[in-house]
Amino acid sequence: MNKKFYDIVTDVGECLLFLKSVSHCAITNKVSSKLVNEQIWKVTTQSASTTALAGFFVGAVMTVQFTMQVKEFGALGYLGGLATSGTIREIGPLLIAFMLSGKIGAFTSAELGTMKVTEQIDAIRCLGADPIQEIVVPRFIGIIISSFFLLIIGLLMSVGGGLLMGQVFSGITPEQYIRHIPSIVTSFSIFNGLLKCFVFAAVLATICTYKGYTTTGGAKGVGQSVIKTAVGTMICIVLADWMTSYFSDTALSLYMEW
Amino acid sequence: MIIFSDVKKSFGEKHVLKGISFQIKKAEIVFILGTSGTGKSVLLKNIVGLLRPDSGEIWIDGQEKSTFKEKDFMGLRKRCGMVFQHPALFDSLTVFDNIAFGIRKHYPKSTHQEISERVKNCLELVNLNGIESKFPPEISYGMQKRVSLARTLAIQPDILLFDEPTTGLDPISTNKVNHLIQELSTKLHTTSIVVSHDMHCALDIADRIIVLDKGLVIENASVEDIKKSKHPLVVDFLKEALANE
Repeated sequence: MNKKFYDIVTDVGECLLFLKSVSHCAITNKVSSKLVNEQIWKVTTQSASTTALAGFFVGAVMTVQFTMQVKEFGALGYLGGLATSGTIREIGPLLIAFMLSGKIGAFTSAELGTMKVTEQIDAIRCLGADPIQEIVVPRFIGIIISSFFLLIIGLLMSVGGGLLMGQVFSGITPEQYIRHIPSIVTSFSIFNGLLKCFVFAAVLATICTYKGYTTTGGAKGVGQSVIKTAVGTMICIVLADWMTSYFSDTALSLYMEW
Repeated sequence: MIIFSDVKKSFGEKHVLKGISFQIKKAEIVFILGTSGTGKSVLLKNIVGLLRPDSGEIWIDGQEKSTFKEKDFMGLRKRCGMVFQHPALFDSLTVFDNIAFGIRKHYPKSTHQEISERVKNCLELVNLNGIESKFPPEISYGMQKRVSLARTLAIQPDILLFDEPTTGLDPISTNKVNHLIQELSTKLHTTSIVVSHDMHCALDIADRIIVLDKGLVIENASVEDIKKSKHPLVVDFLKEALANE
């Protein structure tokens, strides 16, 4: 038990040191924009369809759920605003993070892990380059920037799904659905959603690159890194969700008092 | 001159190098032989700083390397190329870009034409041509190993470290690689350290052979003296080499 706890603490510490070296490298060294753009394109295109599909159904489900709640108060006009606010503040960023974790997190971890066990990372060092700068930082930045694009795609599709279910299930017109979105979705909601999106993507990018980069033990080691990435990102994203919610609420309270 | 002085390296409880000492002169071809898991690859990786010794000193041309930081190794790695046990080619890059990678890093002012010429020359050295636009998974394992060698030669190192360079190669390519190692030593005065299990090749081209066993040097002698060795492991290696002949 003690050893397991010690291993977890050591792993977290090493992961944070890895994040420090990645951040330091990203700030102090010139990172190839070509490599970063390639990663942004790859991550966005690989996840766009699933995010769009999931976003559509999240919007639809949120609308159905809110309909049941607000119908008895005669407040169906607020349906669009409530569903969209819920999506941008919470469900959207969380959904994107889980999608990316399953697809890009596992892929990145396996890709870097394979590079490590087949000595490609050592070869990069021997050829006079810094592997953090060459392969980790572009993936790290790529995942973070892509998550914002995917959030936009997911959000637009959720509004689409909400609009459809608003008509079919709740019997309200698209104009009624959209009317209260600007008044309920405040700038704070948008800030909250963007903050969560950034934090979740950073958590995911850190864990998957760290686990991949530190892989040992051949094909079995690569498999273990992928499993650890999947489990680690899920746990850390939920923890980060709680922390950002707490931070946002505290910030909002302070702002209201001020 | 490369000097190892009482170098020790452990991974957790596993003591891989238990105090290795030897010297290698410029333009020498030294084979390091030993059974699997005796620390041959670990020894090579210590030279280029991919691993750091726990204790002891590693001197290369009068400079002590064991206390170097990562960035201090950049200069050394330009002079000291390593061919890995796996081809270690970058899957997402073509053969051309794989070979050009090191040139672009070490010689950033090179023009595209200069890079192209050097890539072509290096591929010819390893008996390959016309595969520049292919990706590593599209060529055979033996070809990948030779591309890996070409990639290392492209940075024009004066010390070459080979980690089992002929494993997985056909006999013709094996001979070609062995002769290339000899040629580089004779013409360009390149120092070569070759980790191998192949005593037959070692007897053919080595100036000196170092035999490792359980993390220690058990023989360090010229080819002629190695042939007279009475150490059981060396005798076994010699028997195997004679059987292959």
